Amino acid sequence: MSIFTYNGSALVAMVGKECFAIASDRRLGVQFQTIATDFQRIFKVHDKLYIGLSGLASDVQTLQQRLQFRHKLYQLREERDMRPETFAHLVSAMLYEKRFGPYFCQPVIGGLDRDDKPFICTMDSIGAIEHSKDFVVSGTASESLYGACESMFKPEMDPEELFETISQALLASVDRDCLSGWGGIVYVVTPDQVITRTLKGRMD
Amino acid sequence: MGLDFSGLEPPTIRASSSFPNLQPNILSSPSFELPSVKDLDGFEKAAVEMVKPVHGTTTLAFLFKHGVIVAADSRASMGQYISSQSVKKVLEINRYLLGTMAGGAADCQFWQRNLGTRCRLHELANKRRISVAGASKLLANTLYSYRGMGLSMGTMIAGWDETGPGLFYVDSEGGRIKGRLFSVGSGSTYAYGILDSGYHFHMSVDEAVDLGRHAIYHATFRDGASGGVASVYYVGPEGWKKIAGDDVSELHYKYYPVSQPVVEQEMVEILGYPPTGNLGDCSSIPIYRNVASS
Amino acid sequence: MGDSQYSFSLTTFSPSGKLVQIEYALMAVAAGQTSLGIKASNGVVIATEKKLPSILVDETSVRKIQLITPNIGVVYSGMGPDSRVLVRKSRKQAQQYYRLYKEHIPVSQLVRETAAVMQEFTQSGGVRPFGVSLLIAGFDDDGPHLYQVDPSGSYFSWKASAIGKNVSNAETFLEKRYTDDMELEDAVHTAILTLKEGFEGQISGKNIEIGIVGPDRKFKVLTPAEVDDYLAEVE
Repeated sequence: MSIFTYNGSALVAMVGKECFAIASDRRLGVQFQTIATDFQRIFKVHDKLYIGLSGLASDVQTLQQRLQFRHKLYQLREERDMRPETFAHLVSAMLYEKRFGPYFCQPVIGGLDRDDKPFICTMDSIGAIEHSKDFVVSGTASESLYGACESMFKPEMDPEELFETISQALLASVDRDCLSGWGGIVYVVTPDQVITRTLKGRMD
Repeated sequence: MGLDFSGLEPPTIRASSSFPNLQPNILSSPSFELPSVKDLDGFEKAAVEMVKPVHGTTTLAFLFKHGVIVAADSRASMGQYISSQSVKKVLEINRYLLGTMAGGAADCQFWQRNLGTRCRLHELANKRRISVAGASKLLANTLYSYRGMGLSMGTMIAGWDETGPGLFYVDSEGGRIKGRLFSVGSGSTYAYGILDSGYHFHMSVDEAVDLGRHAIYHATFRDGASGGVASVYYVGPEGWKKIAGDDVSELHYKYYPVSQPVVEQEMVEILGYPPTGNLGDCSSIPIYRNVASS
Repeated sequence: MGDSQYSFSLTTFSPSGKLVQIEYALMAVAAGQTSLGIKASNGVVIATEKKLPSILVDETSVRKIQLITPNIGVVYSGMGPDSRVLVRKSRKQAQQYYRLYKEHIPVSQLVRETAAVMQEFTQSGGVRPFGVSLLIAGFDDDGPHLYQVDPSGSYFSWKASAIGKNVSNAETFLEKRYTDDMELEDAVHTAILTLKEGFEGQISGKNIEIGIVGPDRKFKVLTPAEVDDYLAEVE
């Protein structure tokens, strides 16, 4: 058993036309035992920047608290929001700080840059960044998510189509994973609004 | 090298084997060649790990006034991967006997089919149906003979015989227990929770079916390795009957209809953060997804 | 610092509420060679006198304008060795920022960090304030910037400013010449003229230094030959 699969998780982000979407499942388990079905893995950093953290639930919460702290400090000091890419490097640096005792998390970051260009990336638990133009996945359902996204993704989707695609990809993927699912949550971020929807999924 | 267990066979079958040309070895318990390795125990241990596709399972069976209820989920998993959502875990041995499947799928399927053959032979030889006790003992004896060699089974034999309803738990360690209520598999503890709190001997068939179904549903909700369809069988004086096969996801929304979901407190706090946070942007609309019914 | 019983703060309040150590530091700045900076609409120029004690000094070895990052340069008035400590610390800060965010440090942040160091040296034990004022010029996402940092750790953003000897004359001159729509070329000319005002002796590419940064965000210290070209234009 890997500590990464202790709680179970499914996380995905996709790029659309002048927008992006980030989605996750809602399960919190202890190995095969389902403890809660309203666990939060995706966090808002600012209006146009979201981070999802897959992996060990306790590290998810600790890391997001530290990231929020660092971002608030940045906002106060520099009187501006962080750019997605800058934030990604901050996360990466904080993860590598713990190179020999890492946070058991694989982050997924989605944001709109200053010219509202969508940005998504993921990284491993010690901060190696992986950029992507289309989609990124992470969590215990990542294999299934790769398959689902690979076949469902189309470039330049509008927000509604992007929502439908990422939702179907997520729901289809978690149905092949014992450790994730039990509902989902999707954020579609556009330059002037954020669409948040909870998904009704299989509860087994 | 093979193992000869003919000593364990009932006398009628053994007698018939004196006509070798008429009766091939279908009548004797199958014997398997053992691998010619030095460390047989170690080899079997390693092999067991490779032949366990339905390790995660929830099955249950209980006796009550009007007969026996047998129920199971339908998920097969390999580690954390769900390899099937449509496995038949209640095995129909004959019109009056059911067996359940937990552990190795192949082991359960093979030996319960074998049990069916031998029960039919018992019927032909004795002109009466085998008792549930007898059938379960045939299986238990076979499993005992292979004890320590890597078979993996946790099964319940349920049925109706001349004495009324019968229920036995038999496993590959050689155990055979007569009882009123059993649940087997990774989700069994969750099923027991529902069964123990809802069980009364004097309940009606409908109540019993509902209890079995609810216990399976609950186990699929809590246990990541159980899921799919909750199949419920009832065994009465006329033999078994499949009563229900419900997608547990539909059961969930029947037991717990969706109310407008509340965005978590934590989220509200973050959303409310300056500089330009706007709660009005975020709608919270549940999306309904079509779930194929079984 | 701080682990010896003698390492008390040297900068202490006088009964009238002044920190005389800082005032002495400012006097050291006022005695230093004149430096000035002008923020134009499309860039910044900083310039300084480079008077050498003897004609025997190899003037090519003396650099008063230095780079902190590729897009930020700094010039000082006051004590040269003190400025080099600050430049070293500022460069390190800039690199730490880049290491963390993989983004170049904004001028305002670099100035804040540098000012924080200077403030720390007014309050720590066993140290004295820096005997320099700095003019920091840079071009970032928010456009051109010109900052002045004083020994007390206070800093200001200027359209044009001067430090060192003859400040008041230079400032008066700059107030007269400065316009909001001034472009970088004009600013260089104005900078030369301002230096020339209070200059003792013949001005040349060898005894002044000029640094410019424009929209290309490359801070450049002009060579003596380039300075001479500008001087010829001014003539």
